[in-house]
Amino acid sequence: MLEVADRPASTDTDHHDAPSAPPRDLKPSMNAVNNWVPHDLVMRDSWFPLAHDHAVGKKPVRRAVYSHPFYIWREDGKAVASEFHPLEIVTRDKSPFTDARGRYPVMEHYGLIWGWFGRPEAADPAHLPSLPFLPPKGGLPKHMTATIRFDCSAPISLENLIDLTHADFLHADVVGDERSDSEQVEVFYDSETITMVRTLVNKSVAPIMKFFSGIRQPTQNVRQVIRIYLRSHCAIAYGRFSPGDDVPLFHPCTPESRDRTRMEMVMNTSNAGRMFRHVMPKAGYKVSRQDSSMTNPQSPRYMDLTPRKDLHSRFDQAGQRYRLLMMELANRQDAGDFDYRDNVGTDCSDIIGLRKELFQF
Amino acid sequence: MASPWWKVARSEEVTSAKPLAVDIGDQPVVLWRDAQGIARALEDRCPHRRAPLSRGCIRDNGWIQCGYHGWSYDGETGRLKDIPNMKDEQKFPPVYKAAAYAVAESGGFVSVNLDQKTSAPAPVAEQTFPLGGTTVVGLSQGEWIDALFDDPGLVLNIRGVQPTPYLMSELREEDGLLVMERFCQWGKLHYPSYATAEFPITLITRTRPDTGETEVVLRDDSFRTLLTAQLAPVQAARGVTQVRWRAKLGDELKGRHALALRRKGSFEVRDAVDAAALRVLIRSASHHGQQLRDKLLSAPAVSGPSVSEPSVPAPTISAAA
Ligand code: FES
Ligand SMILES: [Fe+2]
Repeated sequence: MLEVADRPASTDTDHHDAPSAPPRDLKPSMNAVNNWVPHDLVMRDSWFPLAHDHAVGKKPVRRAVYSHPFYIWREDGKAVASEFHPLEIVTRDKSPFTDARGRYPVMEHYGLIWGWFGRPEAADPAHLPSLPFLPPKGGLPKHMTATIRFDCSAPISLENLIDLTHADFLHADVVGDERSDSEQVEVFYDSETITMVRTLVNKSVAPIMKFFSGIRQPTQNVRQVIRIYLRSHCAIAYGRFSPGDDVPLFHPCTPESRDRTRMEMVMNTSNAGRMFRHVMPKAGYKVSRQDSSMTNPQSPRYMDLTPRKDLHSRFDQAGQRYRLLMMELANRQDAGDFDYRDNVGTDCSDIIGLRKELFQF
Repeated sequence: MASPWWKVARSEEVTSAKPLAVDIGDQPVVLWRDAQGIARALEDRCPHRRAPLSRGCIRDNGWIQCGYHGWSYDGETGRLKDIPNMKDEQKFPPVYKAAAYAVAESGGFVSVNLDQKTSAPAPVAEQTFPLGGTTVVGLSQGEWIDALFDDPGLVLNIRGVQPTPYLMSELREEDGLLVMERFCQWGKLHYPSYATAEFPITLITRTRPDTGETEVVLRDDSFRTLLTAQLAPVQAARGVTQVRWRAKLGDELKGRHALALRRKGSFEVRDAVDAAALRVLIRSASHHGQQLRDKLLSAPAVSGPSVSEPSVPAPTISAAA
């Protein structure tokens, strides 16, 4: 069930516990977004993308989910994930997240290797997030994939992603500046996902597109979608630029530890021009360093509960909703309820407005 | 006790080209100059999503703009002035603000007071010394001052000057300051200082009990001032101390050693302290110093503010020379 957030962003910022500004259509619960301590959130019973399939062979590679070790390798071509290294002389106790042999549930899909973190018996391929722009059996060229790390907690990285106004500042040299004729933001959500759609009319063309897609016009219409799968910390960032290209990006934020995030990125630029196809995935490196310059110092400032409330603008609606949904899910898990109330595996093409004809597998 | 003014920057470090990040203890502060050239200080934490404002930029109108989503703040009040993309409503309720700190500038230093309601007067200096520098030391401010008291040679490097352990006057209170005088030699200790009849130079330090700001005066045996320096050690994050200093040479330098002070780099605050030497350094003057400082700082504030605050002396010593 998808709900629409048409409520304007909260103005109740109560900064420094000063008397609050008059609330507008404020659900009392929305105030809880100020108690956001992403460092404390741990999500269980979820698939986490741990490696590009091409990165895993016979020799174990090391990954982690919330500091729990995952060693991943292939046996007879099939990926396995264990909490113990095969050569390890085991002195620690097995965790409750693996089977009798210390193995995690693991699956390979969309060109990625996914590890299940949670109760092993609850692992179900049905809980794999829908990523309709990636070939289910993988096989995209390597240059469309990358691994990027963020020195911040995964939710901070995702909050950064769903908050698109920062791009006009932090990434102006890549994606262009804030100038556009109109800007509209819509937010949809259920208990497992949040989707934001931002529509810009006549936005100044991104420098990178000018150079590599050969766009001559000074402006373009842009439709950007960010969809986050709350539990797995996986996100889709899908931009449709006209004139320009369709660029869907898989942007997972795997919480290897509570304050370090690993992104096994896949950008499907198969439909873009030749130059753009190769250059755009590389832009991720630059953009991620720019993001890091803010999210890295942010992260410790979100490690403790503080009485000081964040300020919000109406552009933060999606980010605030993301906080709220994560907190609700975390509360539910704290109470021992790990059930999926909404299905993350259902094809989300319509929700993200995917031009299906471009992505036939 | 009124909240002290911390000399967190030299004037030339604060510009309208680039924000400057400093800290006072664990409190990060961002400094810059607004369109009128007035130094401004805000908490270095954007109240939107807590990004450091120092990673942003200064707009032509003098507002500081966060580098994350471009929110802009006025330096005087800390109030939010502008949210990009928000074309319609650019009036924000008063709670939309960053914490603003009082700033004062004098004598080539920019000072910040963390207490916005402070009643203490901002420091006023009569002159600005031409030489200056900023040094970051891996020592807490308290330990740094103690080292200065016990062996200034560990924290300061004055060309050719070798401080001896011999104190000409022990640490004592004078006009609300902690004052001491130490004999020094030129060059290496070529003969044991305890066996020396006369010393050619002397080093006087006058330290505020609250901020540790210290005036250093180097004088020769003819009572000529060779060098005057102001040191402002401010406790920064992680037990590190940032020391800003300004110095000037005396007008009348006589002798080969004194003249050598004219060369570049004659005065510096050391950025590394010899830890092995520090470890075995006897806590002599500093031990007494802590007692004195405590006494001065706990002096009852019964009398008016003019008495309860330590007086900040104008740099009179160089004038007296
Ligand atoms: S964090 Fe400063 S503008 Fe958003
Ligand atoms: Fe970003």
